[in-house]
Amino acid sequence: MYADTQNDITRQVVRAAQLLLAYGAESDLVEEISQRLGRALGLASVELSISSNALVMTSLVHGRCVTTTRRIREHGINMAVVCELQRICLLAEKGLYGPNEVRKRLARIHPRSYPRWVVIPVIGLSCASFCHLSGGDVIACLITFLASACGMYVRLILAARHFNVLVNFAITAFITTLVAQLGYLKPITATPQLAMAAAVLMLVPGFPMINAISDMVKGHMNVGISRWGQATLMTVSSVIGITIAMQLGGLL
Amino acid sequence: MSLLLLLLNDAFFAAIPAIGFAMLFNVPKRFLIFCAIAGAIGHCARTVMLRYGLPIEWATFVAAALIGVITIAFAKRHLAPPLLYAVAAIIPMIPGSYAFNTVIAIVKLTASHSLQPELLNSAVTNGLKTIFILGALSVGLAMPALVYYRTRPII
Repeated sequence: MYADTQNDITRQVVRAAQLLLAYGAESDLVEEISQRLGRALGLASVELSISSNALVMTSLVHGRCVTTTRRIREHGINMAVVCELQRICLLAEKGLYGPNEVRKRLARIHPRSYPRWVVIPVIGLSCASFCHLSGGDVIACLITFLASACGMYVRLILAARHFNVLVNFAITAFITTLVAQLGYLKPITATPQLAMAAAVLMLVPGFPMINAISDMVKGHMNVGISRWGQATLMTVSSVIGITIAMQLGGLL
Repeated sequence: MSLLLLLLNDAFFAAIPAIGFAMLFNVPKRFLIFCAIAGAIGHCARTVMLRYGLPIEWATFVAAALIGVITIAFAKRHLAPPLLYAVAAIIPMIPGSYAFNTVIAIVKLTASHSLQPELLNSAVTNGLKTIFILGALSVGLAMPALVYYRTRPII
């Protein structure tokens, strides 16, 4: 293998690993996919060192090492991208894709997300079902739907304007809780506190928490701890928003 | 009969959040229904176990392990990573109300001038439940990989 080819393949593999981490895959999956992709494209071995916001990769062929570092910026969770990269890895492993096809397909990856007018009502319905599952009555479920749909709208707007995720969560939690307090104004529902608890459930950082524990269990301690810290900070900032709204409503 | 109705109700209202959060995580459209199936089965299993008197932590652990097994079957069929289905499927089991009660108790404790036993009680019991249910969820989900797929890749 020529040095140019090795450099090129290494770039493709590190690009795949970078995309996986940026769109929220767990570290074990990142390591597995990049090692398999590298071997399928002809590298002798691929070693990866992942930290919370950077990635160092070394590829080895015929005793020649290439080491490269990439900075990782969080882009939010996009499982479609992760799924696409898994496909590329499997196709390369079966021998259907060579370095050129992999490069073309990697260049074509664009993170697409669901349109706003679909996500907002669906998240509202989800939170309303949480309210129902925890025993709220119909009016409480309606209030939950309204509150979490408003909250989701705010969250998507703030995310589109590139606000810090912590600021975003605090403001979203504030607005959601403010709307969810409707049940306390007039005695229309017997379970106003369930509506309030269910409406803010859309802010639970489920993916970072699962990834964090999964990383720590599988031996990627530092990445796991940093993800856990991020999830904790997100929770704390939504708590701040909830507290301010409840104090305004006179509930604390 | 009433158990069947309860389970149907459970399955339906657990499938909705599974789909909703799967859309939030941008799961491709053709996989959404599988997230819903896994979420409904997991939540139903937990409800049955809770009815037979299992503590909520263990029920959650077993249900999460069940979801892990189901999603690995889906993943093998579609050649997609199992976490794609699994995280959306366990969202209905996230201990939201425990977490909410913990936080409210802690905020009230901060605001009060002296240590009040009932607030402290609420904060500690709800907090411990939250932490252990979350742990049970994610370790349960990792169970197939830890027990069976130790040295080889899942797909």
